[in-house]
Amino acid sequence: MKLRVEVWRQADPTDRGHFETHEVDGLEPHLSVLEMLDALNEQLIDSGREPVAFESDCREGICGACGVTVDGQVHGPEDNLPSCHQRLINLDDGASVRIEPLRSAGFPVVRDLIVDRSGLDDLIRAGGYVSINAGTAPDADSLPVGEQQAEKALDFAACIGCGACVAACPNGSAHLFTGAKLAHLSMLPMASTERQRRAHSMVRAAEELFGPCSYYGECARACPAEINLNAIAAFNHERMLAGLKRRL
Amino acid sequence: MRITDKLKDQFGRIGRESAPTQDSHTPKRPTSTVPGVRLGHDLNSKVPEGDPETAWDRRRDEYRLVSPLNTKKMTIVVVGTGLAGAGAAAALGELGYDVHAFTYHDAARRAHSVAAQGGINSARARKVDGDSLHRFVKDTIKGGDFRAREADAFRLGIESVRVIDHMDAIGAPFAREYGGTLATRSFGGVQVSRTYYTRGQTGQQLQVAGAQALQRQVTRGTVKLHTRTEMLDLIVDQGVCRGVVVRDLVSGQVWAQPAHAVILATGGYGSVYFHSTLAVNCNASASWRACRHGAYLANPSFVQFHPTALPISSHWQSKSILMSESLRNDGRIWVPKKTGDTRPAAEIGEAERDYYLERKYPAFGNLAPRDISSRAAKEQIDSGHGVGPLANSVYLDFSDALEAQGRETIAQRYGNLFEMYKRATGEDPYQVPMRIAPGAHFTMGGLWSDFNQMTSLPGLFVGGEVGWGYHGANRLGANSLLSACVDGWFTLPFALPDYLNPLLGQPLPTASDSSVREAVARVEQRTASLLAVGGKQAASKFHRRLGEIMYRGCGVERSRASLLQALAEVRELRAEFWNDLSVPGSGAHLNQALERAGRVADFLELAELMCTDALDREESCGAHFRSEYQDDGEAERNDQRWAFVSAWQVDGPPQGTPGDLVFTRHAEPLDFEAIPLATRSYK
Amino acid sequence: MPAHTRADKAATAVVQVGPPPVTNKRPQRNHLIPSWVLKVTMAVTGTLWAAFIAIHLFGNLKVFQGAQAYNHYAHWLREAFYPLLPKLSVLWAMRVVLGLALLAHICAAAMIWWRGREARGPHRAKIRGARAWGAWLMPLTGILIGCFIVIHVLDLTLGLGIQSAGFAAPISDESFAYENLVASFRRPAMACFYSLVMLLLAIHVAKGFTTMASDLGAMGRRWRATLALIGGLLAVAILLGNGAIPILVLTGVLS
Repeated sequence: MKLRVEVWRQADPTDRGHFETHEVDGLEPHLSVLEMLDALNEQLIDSGREPVAFESDCREGICGACGVTVDGQVHGPEDNLPSCHQRLINLDDGASVRIEPLRSAGFPVVRDLIVDRSGLDDLIRAGGYVSINAGTAPDADSLPVGEQQAEKALDFAACIGCGACVAACPNGSAHLFTGAKLAHLSMLPMASTERQRRAHSMVRAAEELFGPCSYYGECARACPAEINLNAIAAFNHERMLAGLKRRL
Repeated sequence: MRITDKLKDQFGRIGRESAPTQDSHTPKRPTSTVPGVRLGHDLNSKVPEGDPETAWDRRRDEYRLVSPLNTKKMTIVVVGTGLAGAGAAAALGELGYDVHAFTYHDAARRAHSVAAQGGINSARARKVDGDSLHRFVKDTIKGGDFRAREADAFRLGIESVRVIDHMDAIGAPFAREYGGTLATRSFGGVQVSRTYYTRGQTGQQLQVAGAQALQRQVTRGTVKLHTRTEMLDLIVDQGVCRGVVVRDLVSGQVWAQPAHAVILATGGYGSVYFHSTLAVNCNASASWRACRHGAYLANPSFVQFHPTALPISSHWQSKSILMSESLRNDGRIWVPKKTGDTRPAAEIGEAERDYYLERKYPAFGNLAPRDISSRAAKEQIDSGHGVGPLANSVYLDFSDALEAQGRETIAQRYGNLFEMYKRATGEDPYQVPMRIAPGAHFTMGGLWSDFNQMTSLPGLFVGGEVGWGYHGANRLGANSLLSACVDGWFTLPFALPDYLNPLLGQPLPTASDSSVREAVARVEQRTASLLAVGGKQAASKFHRRLGEIMYRGCGVERSRASLLQALAEVRELRAEFWNDLSVPGSGAHLNQALERAGRVADFLELAELMCTDALDREESCGAHFRSEYQDDGEAERNDQRWAFVSAWQVDGPPQGTPGDLVFTRHAEPLDFEAIPLATRSYK
Repeated sequence: MPAHTRADKAATAVVQVGPPPVTNKRPQRNHLIPSWVLKVTMAVTGTLWAAFIAIHLFGNLKVFQGAQAYNHYAHWLREAFYPLLPKLSVLWAMRVVLGLALLAHICAAAMIWWRGREARGPHRAKIRGARAWGAWLMPLTGILIGCFIVIHVLDLTLGLGIQSAGFAAPISDESFAYENLVASFRRPAMACFYSLVMLLLAIHVAKGFTTMASDLGAMGRRWRATLALIGGLLAVAILLGNGAIPILVLTGVLS
C-alpha cells in the first residue's frame, strides 16, 4: 500500500519547524508506524537527502524509546500501545498520515521527531531510587511481601518511561509517571523506608519541570504500560502523607 | 616510572606481547583450515590453581584494594548502562570512584536488558527440589556444551544469591508466594525451579532498578552520566587502555574521556543478522573497536537462535519479535508432510502433519532445548516444509490445547502473547496456528577476558553479554540476566581495584598526549571517510543484505560450503559498502544515517570473523552446528581437538582503506574438574 | 613563550578532553504555592460549596410545599439560632466563609489552568473521551457558574439591576422569596439561563467529586467509587430539583 506521510522536520531546538510531505510505497498494513518511517528514511537516504530523525529501540514495546504523535494522537491511533506496536491497519491505501514529535513544553524538540525527555530522569534523580549499596541488602526471603502487594507494586512498576503520559496531557503533567514510581516504591519493604523524603522531593521536582493535574485522564489512555489513574491519587497521597508525618 | 612499565611490573608481560604459556606439556592446537588464519599462543585464564569451586573466594581474598580515601582519585569509564553497565557504574560509584557512564540512549533505562522476559536464575537452593551450587554449575556448563570456563560458572552461582537480595532491595518487585517469600519457576534445560521472575518483564524490572541505582550515584556526584553519547574509539597508550573517545550524538562533537580503566558493557552483536530479537540500535562497534586495538574476540560464531521468534513476513519488518518460550508448553509444533504445501493449516489433515519435535525427541517433545528446536525448524524449512507466505516458518498449534483446556484457560496463560501476535501478524492464534521461526537472539561469544574480567588489552574490562563468559556454546534460559548482574554488581567492583591499585597517583592522559590526539583523529578520520563515499545506498540496505548472508551461511546450521560462500559474499558486500554508501548530512549534528553507517561498517568486518571462526572450528557444539560434524542430527563435539576457547586477534588496515583483515587464533584451553565432560542428549 | 608550546596549545585546542559544557536547559519553574496545595485547596473549598449546594437544594424543595413554607424557610435563615446568636449572624457567617472559599477556589483554579497551559506549550493536546471533556469543561462551567452566582445574588438577594419588576426585599419579620422567585422565572430568558446553569453545575459537581478523590489521594477502589457516587447523586439531584423549578414556573405549574 501507498501512504502520504506528512512529517515534522525541525533542524534543532531553535528552528521553528515545518511539515514535509512524502509518498511512501510498498507498505503493508501490518507494518508499524516506525517501520513506515524506516521505509521513508531509506528512500530519503538513497536519494541523498537527510533522513527523518526519530527514536526507537527494542521495537517490542518495552524500552520506551519510541514515541511519535500520529494524527494528533500520542503514540498512534490505538490506546495503550507504544508507537512500535501501532500498525498501519486502520489506514487505507493512499491515505495521509501526519507524524509529529511528542508535544509538551517539558519535552523540547531535539531534531525532527526526537524530543528531550530527560526531565523524567530528573524526577528519578530527585528520589526515585532506593538508598542501598551493593552487597548490603538483607535476605529477600526474610522480608515478606504479600503476593497481592507484589503484584500491585508491579502494576505501577510496569512504566516504560516513554513519556506518553506527559505528551498526552493537556496540562503537560508528569503525575502518572511520578505517581507510579512513588506508589511502586512505597509498596516494597526496603524501598518504603525513605518514602517521605522521596515524596517530598519527587513532587517538588515534578512541579518544577512539568504541569499540574486536572484529571483529564488522557495519560492513562495513552500509557503503553496501562498504568492506572490510581497513580495520580498515589502522587497526592504520598505527598500529603509525607507532609502530615513531618508535622507529627 | 611510566605507567606501562609499572603495569608490566605488576602483570608480567602484557597485551600483544603477553607470554605464551604453551609449554612442552600442552597439546598443539589444531591448525586452521581457513586460508590466511594464523595460529597464536595459549592464553592464561588467571584462574587460581586448585578447586574451581573455591577459586573465586580465594581470588577475592588476594585482590589488592584501593583505600576509600583514594577511590575518588581514580577515574573509570563505563560504556553502556544496561544491567551490567549500570550495575558496575553504580557499585563503583558507591565505592567512591570517579565514574563516567556512557549510553547512546536518551536515558540509562532503555538498554536492551529491558527486553528479557523470562527471569533470572539463582543458586539459592532454598527448596527441597535438589538444587545446589554444584547443580547450577553443572546445568550451566552442560547447557553450554562444555565450552565455558568452570570457575566462571562457579563464581556466577556463588554471587547469584546476593544478586537476588540486592535487586529485590533496590526496587525490583519479584513475584512472591502467598506466604510472602520469593516465588520461583523452572525454565528450559533444567529440572529444578531456580528462576526468579517479575511476570514477563523481569529484564525490565531489573534494568529499571539498576538505572535508578545509577541515578542515585549521579545525584551523589560520583557518577557522571553522559546520555546520547556513543563510544567510537579507545585511547590506547603503549598497549594499555587509558580512556575512550566518544561522539555527542546531538551536537556531533567528538571528545575524549581519559580514565584509569575502561569497562565495556555494551551487549551482544546478534543484530549483525539484521533481523534479530535485539533492539534496532544494538551494535558491535564498541567491542569491535576494542578488538581492532588488540582485545581478543572469543568464539564469535557462538550465536543462540531463539526457536519461537516471529517469522519475517515482509520486506520492511524491522526485527523478529520474541514470543515467550512458555508457549511451547501447550503449543504443538508441526509442518505439512508434503513439501511446498500451500494449503491453509485447517485443510491439512492430522495424517498429513509432521509433529517433528515429538517424533524426533519423544522425551522432551515440543520442549526440546532452544538450539535443538531451532535446528529442527530450520531443517524443515530448508527441506521445503516451511509454511507462511514466504514459506519460512513452522506452525505452533494451540488447537489441541484449546480443545482440551478451553479457551479461557489458554487465554489466561497466554492472552497477552496471543494479542501481541495478532497485532504483529494480523492472524488470530485462537483460529489459526501461530507461525514461528528461529531468530538470532543471544551471542555467547564476545570479548575474551580472564578470570578477573580483564580483556587481553590491559585496562579494558568487560561485563555482561559483550564478554564471552559463562555460557560456552549455548546459553541456558534466565542465565543472561544473571551474568550481567553478577558482572556489574559483584565481580567488577572486586576485580577493578586490583588493577587500579598500582596506578594510584598516575596522572590521566591529557589533550597534549599523542595517544589522545591520535584516538580523536581516528574517530574524525573514520567519520570523514563514511561521509566521503558519496554513493547511492543507505547503510540499512547493506545491513539487511548482510543479515541475509549471515542467516544463510552462518546461521542455525553451518557447513564448510555455506561458510565459504558467506565469507566471499561478506567481503564483496563490504567492498560495495565502501563504494556505494550514502550518508547525507554532516557529522556536526544529530545524524542517524551516519550513526547507522558506522555500525554497519563494523558489522561488515565482524561478520567476516564470525564466518572465519565458524569455519575454523571443525566440530559441532551447542549452538554452533556444523552439518559435517553430527551424529544422526545431534551435535558432535570433538573434545580431543577443540576443548578450548578460540580468542581471535584482528589486524588490518583502517576501515575504508583497501587491504584484508588478518585473523590470529589464540586459545584458552578448557579443563573440567568438577563437571566431567559428557555428551548432551535430549533424545 | 617559546614557539613550540604555542604551537602545541593551538593544536590541543581542537581536542576536547572531558565533557563539553552543557548548553541547553529545559524550562523550570519555581512556584510560590505548590500545585498540590492548590489542588487540595480546590478540593476542600469545592466540597464546602457542594455541601452548601446540597443544603440550598434541600431548602429549595420547599417551593413545592407552597409559598408560605418557602417564605418561612427563607425568613428562618435570617434568624437562625436566634436568640443564641444575633439575627443575621448565621447568614453572614455563611456568606463570609462561602465567599472566601469561592475566592480561593477561583484563584487556585486560575493558577492551575495557567500553569497547565504553560507546561503544555504551544501545541495543544487532543481531548478525547468523557473524562477528558469533563475536565476540559471545568474552567468553562466554573466561569459560567461564577457569573450565575453574581446574577443570582443581584436578582434574588439584592434586587439590583436585573431583578424582576415585582422584586420585594425582605422586611424584619417576613420574606417574599417565593414571590420574587416566581416573578423572576416568569421571564423565559432567566428561567432558561437558570436551568442551563443547573445542568452545568451538575456536570461540574460530578466531575469535581472524582477529581477531588484523586487530589485528596484516595487510592482505594471503594473510596473512589463512593466519592464518585456521592458526586453523581448530588448532580442528579441538582438537575432534577433545582433545574426543574424554573421550568415549572415558566410552564405555570408553580405560581
